[in-house]
Amino acid sequence: MPMSATEVRDLSKEFLEHVYAIPEGEKINQCIQCGTCSASCPSAEAMEYGPREIIAALRAGMLDRMFESNTVWLCASCYLCTVRCPAGIPFTDVMYELKRLGVKKGLYAKGTPNAVMARIFVDSVQRYGRNAEMRLIRLFFMKTNPLKGVGMVPLGLKLLKKKRLKFGVKKIKGIEGLRKMLAAVEEEEAQR
Amino acid sequence: MVKITIDGRKIDAREGQTVLQAAKEAGIDIPTLCHHESLDPYGACRFCTVEVKSRGKTKLVTSCTLPVAEGQEIRTRSEKVKKTRKILAELMLARCPNSTVIRDLARKVGVNRSRFRRPPEDLATITDQEGCILCGMCVRICDDVMQVGAIGFEGRGVRRKVTNPFREPSDTCLVCGACSSVCPTRAIEHSRIRPQKPEVIPFEFEEGMSGRKPIYMEFAQAVPKVPVIDEDTCMHFRTGGCKVCEDNCSAEAIDHEMEEKIEEIEVGTIIVATGFKLYEAEKLSRYGYKAYPDVYTSLEFERLCHASGPTMGKIQTRAGKKPEAVAILHCIGSRDENHLEYCSRVCCMYSLKFAHLVREKTGAEVYNFYIDIRSPGKGYEEFYKRLLKEGVHFIRGKGTEVTDVWETEEEKGKLVVISEDTLLGVRRRVPVDMVILSLGLRPQDDADQVSHLFSIGCAQGGFFLEKHPKLAPVDTPSDGIYIAGACQGPKDIPDTVAQGAAAAASALSLMDKGKVVLEPVRAKIDEEKCCGCKLCVANCPYQAIDYNEEKKVSMVHPELCKGCGTCAAGCPSGAATQENFEDVQIFAEIEGALAE
Repeated sequence: MPMSATEVRDLSKEFLEHVYAIPEGEKINQCIQCGTCSASCPSAEAMEYGPREIIAALRAGMLDRMFESNTVWLCASCYLCTVRCPAGIPFTDVMYELKRLGVKKGLYAKGTPNAVMARIFVDSVQRYGRNAEMRLIRLFFMKTNPLKGVGMVPLGLKLLKKKRLKFGVKKIKGIEGLRKMLAAVEEEEAQR
Repeated sequence: MVKITIDGRKIDAREGQTVLQAAKEAGIDIPTLCHHESLDPYGACRFCTVEVKSRGKTKLVTSCTLPVAEGQEIRTRSEKVKKTRKILAELMLARCPNSTVIRDLARKVGVNRSRFRRPPEDLATITDQEGCILCGMCVRICDDVMQVGAIGFEGRGVRRKVTNPFREPSDTCLVCGACSSVCPTRAIEHSRIRPQKPEVIPFEFEEGMSGRKPIYMEFAQAVPKVPVIDEDTCMHFRTGGCKVCEDNCSAEAIDHEMEEKIEEIEVGTIIVATGFKLYEAEKLSRYGYKAYPDVYTSLEFERLCHASGPTMGKIQTRAGKKPEAVAILHCIGSRDENHLEYCSRVCCMYSLKFAHLVREKTGAEVYNFYIDIRSPGKGYEEFYKRLLKEGVHFIRGKGTEVTDVWETEEEKGKLVVISEDTLLGVRRRVPVDMVILSLGLRPQDDADQVSHLFSIGCAQGGFFLEKHPKLAPVDTPSDGIYIAGACQGPKDIPDTVAQGAAAAASALSLMDKGKVVLEPVRAKIDEEKCCGCKLCVANCPYQAIDYNEEKKVSMVHPELCKGCGTCAAGCPSGAATQENFEDVQIFAEIEGALAE
């Protein structure tokens, strides 16, 4: 169900507060919409909205169009926009913040494969303390596009032959310690 | 005066002159190949041979070595002379049958082919053997004038030639180019003397896009309009020789012994108008300045389209091609936290001017990449509108990158400007032949020292601070010091002219009064109490306190003092106080205020 204009506005405001909390995040207000970020972004071609438009939508209180887009999930974290931005906006950090908040609130395009991928990855790390490639691939294609997964089998076999993929996954040593660390981070995040 | 007759004309020659010089001054043409103002007469080519009659006898003499004498009768076009010249031409033609200079000369005296045999082929040395007539001018200028002595003669008779010692590449040669500049037949091949190309001295005013000589005019409107000598490249300062320019200057105005002088001039007021510097394009590597030859700074392009510039105003790429598409990137270095935070104010309008000129002179497509077009000012917006009418493209988005990596056939061999078209929300790649970077303006490198020298402050980005932005725009905190032009902040020519006039008027009104009104409250130093620690001298922001070496005390210049009280507050012995604002007075005021 689409959100009402007021709902979108309030949500945009909340998101904006979170962005302000990032170091130098308040510089987002100084954006002059020059387009350096979008022109520098290596993923911009595939994005539905470029970084510049995200900033405009954030400031205009029209975030809903962004939730429906794939933009934040395509950020490759190359930091080129941050390095070049004439207004000094740490845009890569803004991207991260938006990803986090989107997942937390369940506000992201449900079909966005990158979000699914991120969730499975985090789940793997929590379970085993590491990435489990085979599991990641299996779950990812099951949840997104099983047919495409079938198409990837020949490549998988090749990788298996070269020992670049393995069945089964070993937990890391001292996983308890890692879990404690993750729990502490979660707790801090919850307090914010 | 010496009276001589040349071809029946009576001529007054000066004592010490040669016949050739006297004839030249009288406008009589005697052909010669080996004459040069800076070289002593040598009589090598013998082409200037004339017939002289004295005491009833006639003889043939080279006019370049013949001093004038009273009553000389000279004939330059007699049959005898003509015949001699013909034979000389035939001899030279035999030696240099392919030299265009020699062939032209021979044709002039009526010789088309030579009866003489060509000397045996020999190894060509530093000269192109086809052209060398062995006049020795190169050897003499190198040795006598330049005082380098890198080349000399070798062999005798028909085997004589000009060469390097031992025919090895010379390491004494300074690659000055004097030898080839004097060679009458243009036969010198530099690379054979020293395998190193004569270096072009980059002409600073043309942004290095053309060369200059060691003696040159700084620019066409230079004040004072006199040439300058660059000591680093002038041959005289390298070897102690040369001075060819002195020989050529008929006004005898060149003095190599002149030294830099610092003159102290006492003045009443000073107007600081030190200008600006263009921001360095090298600091923004993503635009490929210097990496791609056809990326220009705005100042380079300004010279390129100027009628007296390196291409005489022809807009062309470095390869000499007429551009089909030109990109102008606005806001390069300006409005950027990583570079200059401020808007440089003039770039929009000069970029529009460039766009107009390119369109007018070449008809090329022009793409302006801009963030905002700032065209406030009389007639400026109208000019912007005119460009829109002329079909100039405006892409709203900062030019982000310049690359030569092509993706499509159309981009092959071009420079590609990458930018977002923010009005369309799409990324664009625009292939062009030339890129102009509209660079921002920054303060001069020594702005900080200058501001300290005059005790004037620096504001935003290091530009000099005016006393008040609205009420005293050309004044500074230091009385009698005014600022004008881009040293105060980026501004265009009309604004600079207006501000300059305002500063001049302010300076005049101060001087015209003939007196300075003093502040009622100003510092006073009690000589009895002063211990001579000089603390106040250092503390005074207006440089109004000097130390008197004789009395060993500090003394206030009341005309400079602003009564700020810094000296009084810092004085350890209590010698510095403020006149009309003393402790006693303040206490009395307090008491008065507190009394019933």
